[in-house]
Amino acid sequence: MIDITLEVNGASKTLSVEPRRLLADVLRHEFGMSGVHIGCAHGACGCCTVHLDGTPRLSCLTFAVQCDGASIRTVESLGGSEADHVLQQAFKSEHGLQCGYCTPGFLMTLAPFVEEMVAQKRMPEEGEIREAMSGNICRCTGYQGIVAAVRKAVTVGLDAGAA
Amino acid sequence: MRPASFEYHRATSLDHALELLHEFGEEGRPIAGGQSLVPMMNFRLARPGHLVDINRLPLGGIEIDGQVLRIGALTRHEAYFNDPLIARHFPAFLDAVHYIGHPTIRRNGSIGGSISHADPTAELPAVAVLHDADIVVRSVQGTRKIKAVEFFLSAYVTAIEPGEMVVALEFPLPPSASTGSFIEQSERSGDFGTASIGITLQFAGGKIGKAAMVCSGADLFPIRAPEIEEFLVGKALADPGAAEAGRIFAASIDPVDDHIASADYRRGLIAELTRRAIEAACTRALDKS
Repeated sequence: MIDITLEVNGASKTLSVEPRRLLADVLRHEFGMSGVHIGCAHGACGCCTVHLDGTPRLSCLTFAVQCDGASIRTVESLGGSEADHVLQQAFKSEHGLQCGYCTPGFLMTLAPFVEEMVAQKRMPEEGEIREAMSGNICRCTGYQGIVAAVRKAVTVGLDAGAA
Repeated sequence: MRPASFEYHRATSLDHALELLHEFGEEGRPIAGGQSLVPMMNFRLARPGHLVDINRLPLGGIEIDGQVLRIGALTRHEAYFNDPLIARHFPAFLDAVHYIGHPTIRRNGSIGGSISHADPTAELPAVAVLHDADIVVRSVQGTRKIKAVEFFLSAYVTAIEPGEMVVALEFPLPPSASTGSFIEQSERSGDFGTASIGITLQFAGGKIGKAAMVCSGADLFPIRAPEIEEFLVGKALADPGAAEAGRIFAASIDPVDDHIASADYRRGLIAELTRRAIEAACTRALDKS
């Protein structure tokens, strides 16, 4: 067992973990972040994507012991239980989800992409959006609604910047 | 789908990492981005007793060192996209990186990890074989350089000995009148390829001089195509006989038959990818002439 300190969604906690424990499991079981969904557990589906020190990372391909001192954000940090983040609202209005299992991973992958596009003041091409989400699998939507949601979130961001 | 037990060690210097790997021998594995090793551990296809975390070591970077482009083992895949040296000297490499994984994997995965993992159809092993790169490995005994064509021994099997780890790749700089291309086909964007073909060629006076070709998907590791390399010498850039080259090469290989594609499908795919890769490289050569 190794002692590590993780800062998860603003709260720090020191705990003792076996080296073999995946970050995804530690976030779910020790921090109660059930929004971290585990799909394939081998890096193919993207469901478990979280932000590690600000950038997306697959928490099923990361050992918690590697993250000592790191700052982690899960989907719970986006819009809370109201899900009022602009991208979450866009997923809702554009039918970007059906069963919702893959949604936390899509949101954590795409939220920084939306922010980057808004910062660059431009609407991405469809190909760019599909490339950005190519590491996430959705079995319900056929992706059309997710692409539309990204466009809508970028539009809202651009309009807010222009106002 | 969870890994077996292991002990975790964070290396504080390269010497520290090499001492730990020497101590653990067969049971020790370095871990960088973990994008290949951790899936293998989750499936329990790999069960190292000790992981040596090298992420905080200064082993990244892309630079010219004499006559070679040296890429440090901890260079993350997303770094290749905007690197001016790769863009200028290695167009086939630059093509290939677009097929590596997905954005999250490219941000974390490292070249040393991909090379050490040696997936049969991963892009970077094919790129290393195509360009006659040297794989630089180190242990407490010292440094040795292994030619890429001698490094990949089978699927997931390399010439790395217990106690050694990859520290860099060295790509010989090509002459200025040269170019290349790389094409891959996979089931889904970012997945490991069903097959891929890479080409480099030198040219003068509208004709091909020296050529090199690599193929993934024909065998358990990326292979060169000496017959096609010879076939291309002296061919006109405007009419290199690309379709014939594809047919000749496809007739010479014996690809696997599996759940992704039949051997016949792979043979047909490889013939077509060969044609397209040769034509793409020749078009670039004509643009540069």
